[in-house]
Amino acid sequence: MLKRARWLVGLLLATALLGATAYRFWPRPQAAESVAVRSALSGPDDAGYRRAYAPQPFHFPSDHGPHPDFRTEWWYVTGNLSAAGGRPFGYQLTLFRIALAPTPPPADSAWRGHQVYMGHFALTDVTGKQFHAFERFSRGALGLAGARAAPFRVWLEDWALSGTENDVFPLRVQARQEGVALDLTLTAAKPLVLQGDRGLSQKSAAPGNASYYYSYTRLPTRGTIRLGEKTFEVSGASWLDREWSTSALGPEQSGWDWFALQLDDGRELMFYRMRRKDGGADSYSKGVLVGADGQSRPLSQAEIELQPLGQWRSPASGDRYPAGWRLRLPAENLELTVTPKLADQELRLTVRYWEGAVTVSGRSGDQPISGQGYLEMTRYETPIRP
Amino acid sequence: MTPLLWRALLKHSLRHPWQLALAILGIALGVAVVLAVDLANASARRGFELTMNRVTGRATHQITGGPQGVPEAFYRHLRVERGIQQIAPVVTGYLPRADRPGHLFQILGVDPFAEGPFRAAAADPTGKDFDLRSLLLDPDAALLPGALGDHLTLQRGENRFILKRAGTLEGSELNGLIIADISTAQVLLGYAGRLSHIDVILPDGPAGERRADELRARLIDGLRLERSDMRNQATADLSAAFSLNLLAMSLLALVVGAFLIYNAISFAVVQRRGLLGILRALGVSRREIFAGILGEALLLGLAGSLLGSLLGVWIGSGLIHLVTRTINDFYYVLNVRDFLIDPWSLAKGVALGLTATLVAAWLPAREAAAVAPGAAMSRAHLETRWQLALPRLIAAGLLLFAGGGAVLWLSRSLAYGFVGLFLVIFGLALLTPPIIVGWVRLNRPLVARRGLLARMANRDVARHLSRTGIAVAALMVAFATTVGVGVMVDSFRGGVAIWIHDLLNADLYLAPPATGGDHGAESLRPATLAALRAAPGVAAVSTYRRATIDFRGRPVQLIAADLAPAAQRGYRLIAGDPAVAWRAFQTGESVLITEPLAYRQRLNAGDTLELATAAGPHRFAIAGVYLDYGSEHGRILIHRSAYERYWRDSNVSSAAAFAVEGADLTALGEHLQDRLGAIQPVMLRPNRDLQARTLEIFDRTFTITNVLRLLAILVSVVGVLSALSALQLERAREFAVLRAIGMRPGEIGALVSLQTGFMGAVAGLLAIPTGLVLALVLIFVINRRAFGWSLPFQVSVGLLAETVALATAAALLAGVYPIWRMSRARPAEALRTD
Repeated sequence: MLKRARWLVGLLLATALLGATAYRFWPRPQAAESVAVRSALSGPDDAGYRRAYAPQPFHFPSDHGPHPDFRTEWWYVTGNLSAAGGRPFGYQLTLFRIALAPTPPPADSAWRGHQVYMGHFALTDVTGKQFHAFERFSRGALGLAGARAAPFRVWLEDWALSGTENDVFPLRVQARQEGVALDLTLTAAKPLVLQGDRGLSQKSAAPGNASYYYSYTRLPTRGTIRLGEKTFEVSGASWLDREWSTSALGPEQSGWDWFALQLDDGRELMFYRMRRKDGGADSYSKGVLVGADGQSRPLSQAEIELQPLGQWRSPASGDRYPAGWRLRLPAENLELTVTPKLADQELRLTVRYWEGAVTVSGRSGDQPISGQGYLEMTRYETPIRP
Repeated sequence: MTPLLWRALLKHSLRHPWQLALAILGIALGVAVVLAVDLANASARRGFELTMNRVTGRATHQITGGPQGVPEAFYRHLRVERGIQQIAPVVTGYLPRADRPGHLFQILGVDPFAEGPFRAAAADPTGKDFDLRSLLLDPDAALLPGALGDHLTLQRGENRFILKRAGTLEGSELNGLIIADISTAQVLLGYAGRLSHIDVILPDGPAGERRADELRARLIDGLRLERSDMRNQATADLSAAFSLNLLAMSLLALVVGAFLIYNAISFAVVQRRGLLGILRALGVSRREIFAGILGEALLLGLAGSLLGSLLGVWIGSGLIHLVTRTINDFYYVLNVRDFLIDPWSLAKGVALGLTATLVAAWLPAREAAAVAPGAAMSRAHLETRWQLALPRLIAAGLLLFAGGGAVLWLSRSLAYGFVGLFLVIFGLALLTPPIIVGWVRLNRPLVARRGLLARMANRDVARHLSRTGIAVAALMVAFATTVGVGVMVDSFRGGVAIWIHDLLNADLYLAPPATGGDHGAESLRPATLAALRAAPGVAAVSTYRRATIDFRGRPVQLIAADLAPAAQRGYRLIAGDPAVAWRAFQTGESVLITEPLAYRQRLNAGDTLELATAAGPHRFAIAGVYLDYGSEHGRILIHRSAYERYWRDSNVSSAAAFAVEGADLTALGEHLQDRLGAIQPVMLRPNRDLQARTLEIFDRTFTITNVLRLLAILVSVVGVLSALSALQLERAREFAVLRAIGMRPGEIGALVSLQTGFMGAVAGLLAIPTGLVLALVLIFVINRRAFGWSLPFQVSVGLLAETVALATAAALLAGVYPIWRMSRARPAEALRTD
């Protein structure tokens, strides 16, 4: 599951968060940031946290809520929407929980707490060729940010995911910042999918370098998007990933590319490729194929052929990302081309990565097939000079 | 200008090095004092600005509450329910070091996650020791100034907190600051559930105004949104008045310096009348002579100014501690570690010295230019002109005096107050020569029977008026300054002593252990108060709660008091009928205000004022105005019941107990200490202790004033020495003649001593009325305008006698060198052409 293991694998996240907040609070020269993050990555102290060693049964609704004994956790929503007349939008709202310590500090003040929340909110305005990305941090104390299972709610100030008394759905997704706002309602068209081995997603070889991971792969969505003075009624489909862990990446792994694709024939395909520092593809890369009926089957690294198409250089950061991908699943006779709806969907936040709305085209057997989805590409930064 | 002229002038100066030295010293001292005060002020101001900028950061506004601060839940409401970004919570206060109770640190509690836009530059812990995780999680972690060790122990009430370093604050202006996570700061300061304020950043212009209005509409009762710079400004304004006061006093020293320059230059001109006459005969034009003398003076002025700059930097580095200490006692905690040598201040000092020189040398230079070619070697003509000019001097003096009086009468600003003050002093200085002439005439019958020597001594003073008049006027101004400032300080101290004696008229005072002034949040518990009231031997109890609130954009102390009848008698009402006022006060709908507040806000008994209470704005009637020197920001006295009702705060900061008639106070104190100490740690102090402590702080505050006064005395004494000894040295030829016709050296010595002594005495005596006028202006105009309080006028005879004695002694001392020189000179040599 590194799935979306999204870059944010626990450790990286926690340390990056700490380091980065420090830099936000107290500015330093830029190069130092990556150095600090890397050094933080190399020597994490996971002692005292729970870790994901073995599959275990999930209990809902309580597992929709937080797991504070683990270091890192996220509620990750992405989706492709379109306004009346077809104007396309992509959105991402991710709320991360990061523990600063395995046990709570003394409760001497309502502000004291060992949980920190980080939020990323992005909106891709394809027609307007604009990509908006925002980041927030808050302590999980005083009610400024937090998460609970019933009634379901995860919030970071006024960015929030809220469900009903006993269920996550219908899920209301709300976020706004600087003239960009969304207010959406998501319903579940398919049951949840357990990733990896019954929900245990092994990320690298060491025992415990794994997460608990499940997804809702197709969530019909309606609501409004506001851009400046304009409000759009929108509809489309979203995807929710839930994952919690304490450690994930092994020292030989460098980054990952993650695909969440919703095909027009009713199937969804998730695949993440772990990249190794030596340039090879990591055997812990994996995915899942969900049928129109909701039945899923795991995909191993050997089943998927991935080929980057061209290169896009971020004018802002100088990082070079693949400008598209060819993805082949010979066993299903599936061949897909994944193309960003907008070239620049780079989130230049505390942690820099590319995540954005994509168009899918290709063929399934003899039939042409299309679709859309979200693509994440992490750690393509230009090597830092010593 | 011709080299001949330069050489001629220069040679003369070099042959009279002492004269040169004294002139330079005069201007140097004047410049030094002004510069020293200016540098000390500038350093203090810079320290203030740096600290403020670092602490306020980029906040444009603040949401503030009353004494209880802002509920932390309101911050959450703004962030979560209202989605307002660009706000940051702040918990701040002051705590003393446990091992040095007088040493306060400002605790700044912030939320690092909200800080980004606010104080990015505020703190810069670039060191490797910065540990955000520790800062957030450890209850004892804080960012400490680099100058401290890795641990710091602070004290609040009976609690001690040992802080450990989680990062380093760089920059010496932050040496008094400690930054902690907001949770830690709440615990340290006893601020559970509350914030000191919420910092807000709003954009400039109409958009910002609109946002401010929206935000205001969402504030709950008791909260206000105000501009940060205005809050800082209110604090800075008051210390500006303090700085201005110091600067004005230092300018008096420069005035004396200018007089000395005038004296030295005109003296040099007179000495060289012969030379100037010859130069004119040789074809040097008037204009060249004028320029030559002025140039010479400027050289002197430049040398003096440069020397004065060095001296000023040295004195200023000493003054900065005094300035800082005063500011800390009365205004806010300021940490100035860097003495700033501001080039602009240096330039100002030199320019001021040169200007004073130029002004002072103008008349003598004109006088020199007026010398006719080959002219008279004597000064007779000049002296005659002076005699003739006396009526004009009188007229000008009276005019300036009256003009100064009019300015004082008509203006209201502090700056005009000083303008008026200087005009009055100049006027009195101009009147000095005519007064000397009159005095000499009055002396005539007195000296007539005392022999030739006395008559000569007396007449000479008037005859040499062009010299003696200026010298005496300069000395008079110098000594008047010391008299004026001395009387002002004495009066002030007297007023404070009476006030504190009246106000603290209870027998015992009770408070939680020191928490660093008013900043602490410690409270006397209800059980403690009940035990106090019930204690045998206690006749009556007053309670007080002190809080700082904002009134019309300025911080004002609100004192919620439940006063015993005897305590009420300690307040001296200067407006309002006491009986009526206290009855109205008891209802809670009327308040009493202090004189500085009444003066500043132009309020009086019978007016009303609106206060922002926790229950929203409320209008109170002003029942009376009372005398108070405790806070120049002003204080509002409100009845405890009204305070509890409107501010929802039942804390008690301190209490006062009146003992029953004839009680043994020592025994009562010990008894109460035991009985109350069992409930809560308390500090019991007899009223005498508190009164003494108040006066101690007062004296500390005025240390700097006394230092300035000493400097003025020093300048005066140097002035006397230089002016009078120069005067006598000039008369070497005259004395040689006297010797030649048979006068003994001893007799000439007596003559010189009589003259200088007389002039010193006259300067000292004239300094008394002038000094008293100066004191009146300082007390009733300057202090009132700067701080808003009225002081009694108290003159100590000792101070006056001391001044006259000092002036006379200095004058007698001034005769010593000329007498010594003259006694060694052989008359025949002195009689040879100079």
